[in-house]
Amino acid sequence: MTLGLILAIIGAALAAILPGIGSAYGVQIGGQAAAGVVSEKPELFGKLLVLQALPGTQGIYGFLIAVLVMVRTGMLTGSPVALTTQQGWAFFAACMPMAIVGLLSAISQGKAAVAAIHMTAKQPDSSAKGITMTALVETYAILALLVSVLFVFIGIPV
Amino acid sequence: MIVPMKKATLVILREDRDAVTEALQRCGELMPIPPEDLPPGAEQAEESLRAAEALRLIRPYQEKKGMFAPRKAVTAAELLTPDEKGRELLAQIEEASAAAEGAKARMGELDARMEELRPWAGMDIPAEALSGTRSAGVYSGYIDPQKADALREAAETQGGAVSILGSGPQGTAALIYTYRPEEGPLLEALAALGFSQAAPPCTGLPGDALAALAEERRSAEASWEAAQAKLRELARSREELELFCDQSDAAGERAQTPYSKTVQTVYLEGWVRSDRTERLRKAVEKAADCCYLAFSDPAEGETPPTVTKNNRFVSQFETITDMFSIPANGELDPNPVMAPWYWIIFGLMMGDAGYGLLMVLGIGLFKKLKKPRGEFGKLVNVLFFSGFTTILWGVLFGSYFGETWHPILFVPLDDPMRMLVFCAVLGLLHMFSGMAVQMAASIKAGRFWDAIFDQFSWMMLLAGLGLLFLPQTRTVGAALAIAGAVIVLFTAGRAKKGVFGKIIGGFGGLYGITSYMSDILSYSRILALSLSSGVVGMVMNLLAGMVGGTAVGFVFSLLIYVVGHIFNLAMGLLSAYVHDSRLQYIEFFNKFYEGGGYAFRPLQINPRFVDITDSRENQGGN
Repeated sequence: MTLGLILAIIGAALAAILPGIGSAYGVQIGGQAAAGVVSEKPELFGKLLVLQALPGTQGIYGFLIAVLVMVRTGMLTGSPVALTTQQGWAFFAACMPMAIVGLLSAISQGKAAVAAIHMTAKQPDSSAKGITMTALVETYAILALLVSVLFVFIGIPV
Repeated sequence: MIVPMKKATLVILREDRDAVTEALQRCGELMPIPPEDLPPGAEQAEESLRAAEALRLIRPYQEKKGMFAPRKAVTAAELLTPDEKGRELLAQIEEASAAAEGAKARMGELDARMEELRPWAGMDIPAEALSGTRSAGVYSGYIDPQKADALREAAETQGGAVSILGSGPQGTAALIYTYRPEEGPLLEALAALGFSQAAPPCTGLPGDALAALAEERRSAEASWEAAQAKLRELARSREELELFCDQSDAAGERAQTPYSKTVQTVYLEGWVRSDRTERLRKAVEKAADCCYLAFSDPAEGETPPTVTKNNRFVSQFETITDMFSIPANGELDPNPVMAPWYWIIFGLMMGDAGYGLLMVLGIGLFKKLKKPRGEFGKLVNVLFFSGFTTILWGVLFGSYFGETWHPILFVPLDDPMRMLVFCAVLGLLHMFSGMAVQMAASIKAGRFWDAIFDQFSWMMLLAGLGLLFLPQTRTVGAALAIAGAVIVLFTAGRAKKGVFGKIIGGFGGLYGITSYMSDILSYSRILALSLSSGVVGMVMNLLAGMVGGTAVGFVFSLLIYVVGHIFNLAMGLLSAYVHDSRLQYIEFFNKFYEGGGYAFRPLQINPRFVDITDSRENQGGN
């Protein structure tokens, strides 16, 4: 196993770890707020579940990048490519947009989701507005995902 | 399209008021306008509140109803007035629940008293006899259980006697016998030990009193159980209570109709759809012998509510627009343009024929069993329709449950750049269609040049920039882009005063290119979502394939396959719903749509728990 491959693995691992932590945090604070509301208004469960789930997508995006790195480097088929150190660093760097933006945007989105959950508690009819406001945060995670995907998929020659 | 509204003015005799209100509610075409001097906070119908409370009371007692149990169907006439049977049921439930609560409280109270009395149970002297005699003193009270031995010792060394009784929350009960002439030092010693004097909380023998309390508690428990059995039995007639709940809601809403009164007549104003005025007239005339009903166009400064009328496909998507903002009356209805785009983009974001098939089958089955209504029903239909576009795009991209098989166009996973361009072009067309709506509105309002300067110029510029990417059309694209940019530069500041203001305005307008660029980039989320559901689906297939081989492995792999794909489908649906809506709200609507209307909510029967069988004449809303 080359150093390059190890660097690629570190990058992929970070892409899975950091957005995962962020999403777990975002979904957790959303869940706390939603549980408080549901204790008073059980009929809002469905609407609040959607809001709570929104910060969860970053974790999936990070997972996706990790899998794409594994696919590109042949780790999934059991015959990993002997990456050079330069290639390894390139994969590591390619993972960073998703890893870092995923972590921070999931936390921010969780906070927006909490606010939207509180708004829905007071005005159940405006849950869709809250969903939209919360989803705006995700735009930047999606942009980071695209950058990482394009790097991993076509940016780095193997 | 948005239906024009008429303002109805109705004057009827006082004695016809109830009959006419019922007729209005049944026909469901009139939205009353509350007069400005309406007393604030008209009281909520008391009976419907009581019925709702009773429903909550019997909830713990009712049997589980299947998730897909059909709703009871009744006719509109049955729903109009609360029936006596339901009222009786309500009274019975309230009575039984009050009895249960009373018995429960009584049991708690008796428990507390028994607890207090229990330490004294061993005392074989009636409580009245504790006053002692001239020379023998008897003191009763509590002592800290750990000091009971010390108490005994102190009493016996100082010429007294002690009998220690049982322990309770207040301490250990004890009786002290003294020789009165010499009891002084003993009493001091007792006080030093913390002995607190107290009489047993009863009369007569404590043992007898305890038995009497226990007997009373048994009877309270029996009546509690009886009340609970009664509630359980009453809970079986929940459907009747639900019907009663709807009935009293309907009656309560009628009672709140904001009539203005004179001595002989009552007066009501309201909004009605201009194509339904005759239906309203017929309903009113049938109910009242003598009435005045006139229709007029909304006056200047009055804002009528909004009713949109679209075909069955488009009308389902109205719920997406309404969540953003209801169109204002007099504005263009965005739904006919928005609906097909929402439909296509949703399918593109899901982009898997297998998932599309699951959506169509699963949601179709849900619709059949649960018959969802109202806004939720529309949303379910939106997802159902989008299942078909999901199948379509899945076939075009050759994606079946994450596996690739004979793509017709190309595979987004293998060719993400192509997909990115595809999304950008689609987004451009989406935005152009929104701008075209704005152009049509401007031209209709007689502002032809506004349409050219504000929309068409940008369409030329953006289309030209797009054409620059293809070698064959590069010259055409350049010409278009420059022409568009020049128009924007020279016209964007036309409303400003002075040459300087116009120049600044022109450059400011051209700077708006950044917002168009970010709008177009925003459509890249279509690629991201279709990639994410594609890759997660692929991983699930991979994982399922890894554990296969043996029989146990096969079971596990099947489990991973099914659970994994259902999870991916659910997350995909959530993301597609959210991000498709966002593309409509932010990228599409900001090109032309303002909204800010309010919904048409006519006086009508709005049952929460039952379905109306002869519903056609009652569905006033849309």
